[in-house]
Amino acid sequence: MRIYEYIIRRLILLIFVLFAVSVVIFYLLRGFPTGIAPWAAYINSKMTADQIEAVIKAHGFDRPLWEQYFYWLRDIFQGQWGLTGIWAQGRPANEVFFNHFSYTIELAVSGVILTVAIGIPLGIISALKNNKLPDHVSRVIALAGYSTPAYWFGFMLQLVFFYYFSLWGLPHLPSSGASTLGVSRITGLPLLDGLLSGNLAFSWDEFLHLILPAFSLSFISLGFLARIVRASMLEVLRQDYITMARSKGLTERVVIYRHALKNALIPAVTLTGIFFAALLGGAMITEYVFSWPGVGQQALRAVFQGDSNFLLVYSLVFAAIIVTANLVVDVIYAFLDPRIKY
Amino acid sequence: MKEQQSASAVPKGEWEARLADIKYTLHLFRKNPLVMAGTIISLFFIGLALSANIIVNPNLALPTGYTGGMYPFERKYMWSAGSIINWGPNIAIYKGPESFLLGTDGWGRDLAKMIVLAVPVDLYYAAIITITAAIFGTFLGAIAGYIGGVIDEALLRITDIFFAFPALVLALVFASLPQFGRSLDTLALALVLVWWPPYVRLMRGQVLSEKEKPYVEALKATGAGNTRILFRHVLMNAIYPILVQVTMDFGGVILTFSALMFLGFSPSPALPELGNLAADGYGHIFDAPWVILFPGIVMLIISLAFNLVGDGLRDVLDPRLRR
Repeated sequence: MRIYEYIIRRLILLIFVLFAVSVVIFYLLRGFPTGIAPWAAYINSKMTADQIEAVIKAHGFDRPLWEQYFYWLRDIFQGQWGLTGIWAQGRPANEVFFNHFSYTIELAVSGVILTVAIGIPLGIISALKNNKLPDHVSRVIALAGYSTPAYWFGFMLQLVFFYYFSLWGLPHLPSSGASTLGVSRITGLPLLDGLLSGNLAFSWDEFLHLILPAFSLSFISLGFLARIVRASMLEVLRQDYITMARSKGLTERVVIYRHALKNALIPAVTLTGIFFAALLGGAMITEYVFSWPGVGQQALRAVFQGDSNFLLVYSLVFAAIIVTANLVVDVIYAFLDPRIKY
Repeated sequence: MKEQQSASAVPKGEWEARLADIKYTLHLFRKNPLVMAGTIISLFFIGLALSANIIVNPNLALPTGYTGGMYPFERKYMWSAGSIINWGPNIAIYKGPESFLLGTDGWGRDLAKMIVLAVPVDLYYAAIITITAAIFGTFLGAIAGYIGGVIDEALLRITDIFFAFPALVLALVFASLPQFGRSLDTLALALVLVWWPPYVRLMRGQVLSEKEKPYVEALKATGAGNTRILFRHVLMNAIYPILVQVTMDFGGVILTFSALMFLGFSPSPALPELGNLAADGYGHIFDAPWVILFPGIVMLIISLAFNLVGDGLRDVLDPRLRR
């Protein structure tokens, strides 16, 4: 099978998976007998019976479930993703989603950068000093990374770098939230907007706000990455071509950084794509802890309000991100590793 | 296949060979100090979980004898006087007759005792979730890999759908079911539903490579049935990576479970569970930091211990890495 045939096959599957996910989520959120009326999020206690009736009609909750689904599907393709509940003042769900999504992207991108910058060197050191002290130390750091409760670590960072640093009179980082200095909206990504519009003070402030949440977010995944890099480095170092390179009389540096590293980093490159998707979705806890105005925090509010419109958008966009990331990663893998055939 | 790898003892029979293999594995295991540390800590927490209700009276979680079943206000978010730790200026010091090792939580309870009570809850649910998901996923994966064809394709597509599922949406739906109530069991069910797909992939891959091996052909030639080949022979040889995955997942499940509790999916705010105890400290991070600090540290140690064991198991059981 040629690579483009493979991509087309995967794209068809991707559409199928998204369709199936949307059906299941729609059923779970709207049709599952939960005992809570699906329109509960869209009404308030001051409404009269007639007003409630109007809300039910407007959202289409009076129709049979399958009809609701197809109306919803049609609206999705027309770019009308339903209205949110009172927790977001009933604004369109896609507007609420994408307003906050840029913050989540900003956080996840910073998280991925930190993951790669710390995780890969840690993994390489671990492999080169296999079963010696540096390996044990980096192994503990890596394992501690993915054994750490994300909510706890975030609070500890706040406690030390904001509270105690300010108590001791040291320069301290902001504890929570994003920068509140205003910036004109160009790309939607606040940090980038600040740079593009020349508002450096804003960008710097946003950067300071970003450090703790980004580190907190990346701490979990950098452990994984370090372990993967270590394992693949060990695997590569055992192969014949490395012995060959050594027997040619090449120095150990050249063997490791020219010959071994290239092959050992292939899994790391692909894993980074998965991490990006996972960090986007996994940012929820970090956003909650740091009051970061990302989309995960909004989803959490929607969850406790039972706002099915927003949750449908949220889960579908994230499902799409996860399956697309998997596809992209598999394709990149094929380009990087010529041994892989589809 | 594993038997040939171990250097010691010429294999005599199936069970002697397996025993020799296990002995060699234990030997490798003992050589690694980190793994031994992980094993000892894990066993300590399992022992603590088993005896928690003897060490600490479980009724302390919901104190009686006070109005409204709650401790008086003077005990909430308090740190004992005379402690060596100085938290800073905003801390409330308890000057009453009792002394609390790790301070009190927002309910006025002794945090150290609540942590002891919380350990069995977390370990129990993490075990239930991991083992259920592993058995379910392994079974499906074995079938998909062994039978192949349409069933394989169908099972893989179903796992794809579950792979793309946000865990939180499932948790929400299950948490709001009136038939079950918002209980720990329904939350566990939600987590099982998002946790089984990796096992399908893992087991399927294992079975695919195992079933091409000569011993399967030999078994077929002797007239062994498919069920017997799959569940007695192929599964036995393919189970090691699953065991490693289970140990590694255990740490992850316990974190996810407590994180959901922390985010507010707990059935009762007074429940002693590590995530729930930490949630009590949300908003009190600067005037009662211990309420988040200590449950989190315990969670970290448990998760780290199991991950160390899993990590060591992987090295020890991987035939390419065992020397």
